[in-house]
Amino acid sequence: MLLTTLDMTTESFEAATGWAAKPEGMCKGDACVPAPGAVSPDGALDVAAVADRLGMALVADDGAGVWALGPESGGRALTTAVAPDIDLPDIDANPFNLSAMHGRKVLLVAWASW
Amino acid sequence: MWQALHEELEPLGLSVVTVALDLDPEKARTWIDAASPTHPSLVDSHHRVDELLGISNVPMAVWIDESGTIVRPAEGASIQPSPLRAMEITDEMPERLQAVLREFKAMPETGEAYRAAIVDWANRGADSPYAMSPDEVIAASQPRSADHSRAAACFELGIHAEARGDHQAAIAWWKQAHALFPENWTYKRQAWTLESTPEGADSDKAQEVQDVYGTSWSDAFLEVGGANYTVTPKL
Repeated sequence: MLLTTLDMTTESFEAATGWAAKPEGMCKGDACVPAPGAVSPDGALDVAAVADRLGMALVADDGAGVWALGPESGGRALTTAVAPDIDLPDIDANPFNLSAMHGRKVLLVAWASW
Repeated sequence: MWQALHEELEPLGLSVVTVALDLDPEKARTWIDAASPTHPSLVDSHHRVDELLGISNVPMAVWIDESGTIVRPAEGASIQPSPLRAMEITDEMPERLQAVLREFKAMPETGEAYRAAIVDWANRGADSPYAMSPDEVIAASQPRSADHSRAAACFELGIHAEARGDHQAAIAWWKQAHALFPENWTYKRQAWTLESTPEGADSDKAQEVQDVYGTSWSDAFLEVGGANYTVTPKL
């Protein structure tokens, strides 16, 4: 996840990572991690603090002025069985969201030209 | 191959969704055009599904049920026997090729059983013994360490460097990603293909990239061995 700023709100962080700020902490699906002090009263998020709590690597490319945020870690690749919000284009750049498949079984297959 | 499975199982309420992990989506176009898919056929130029689902090589697949719940985590998704496994090894072959073919034969052959499991799930849904509970899915998904998280971040910074034309910086980030998460073959094969694919070609499976990355696909494959190259589905 590429970040051009660390000045994020809880809304923009959730849109980017799937982790939502709730009274019990940072939550995704049915998993919650306590994160005291991560959100200020005005809704601003301390990205570095949240990244630390969730085991997300926050790596800066100082020359380029950007950061990359890795996924949560310290357990398994999946923290919940709720399928993530997968929003990807097709080869002609038409948008597709996995939610369009609701009501059908999906076999999601990763492949590559290489 | 995936189009044929989709056509077979679509009447049972199952859709195949393919995701091409290609930094340059145009590299995937030839394959997609040839398959003429009627199922969703997506392109993931940032390898987002690595992070989101634990994809670490191709082909790998995830099963998702009608309510959007994952019922099998990312695992190796061959659905037919590899022709390389069936190739006879002869003394006339170069030694390197013999070694590679021996390791292909050492790979667990699960293609037919995995395909049969998909068909069983399409027919029986939650009653299929291959559909896992949410707790089983989480436990069976791949481990994710702090180094794996850092590898994903480094890989992403490499993509950003490549996009702004700084290929040397991209290589440096990708080398870090490879060192932090050696079991992720999508990070390696994606980076290597940029060095070894001849101009105008879609891909180069041999990936002889000693001069840049100090290795090649076959070096790396022989190092881990065929038995450890894929995430074998436990059926």
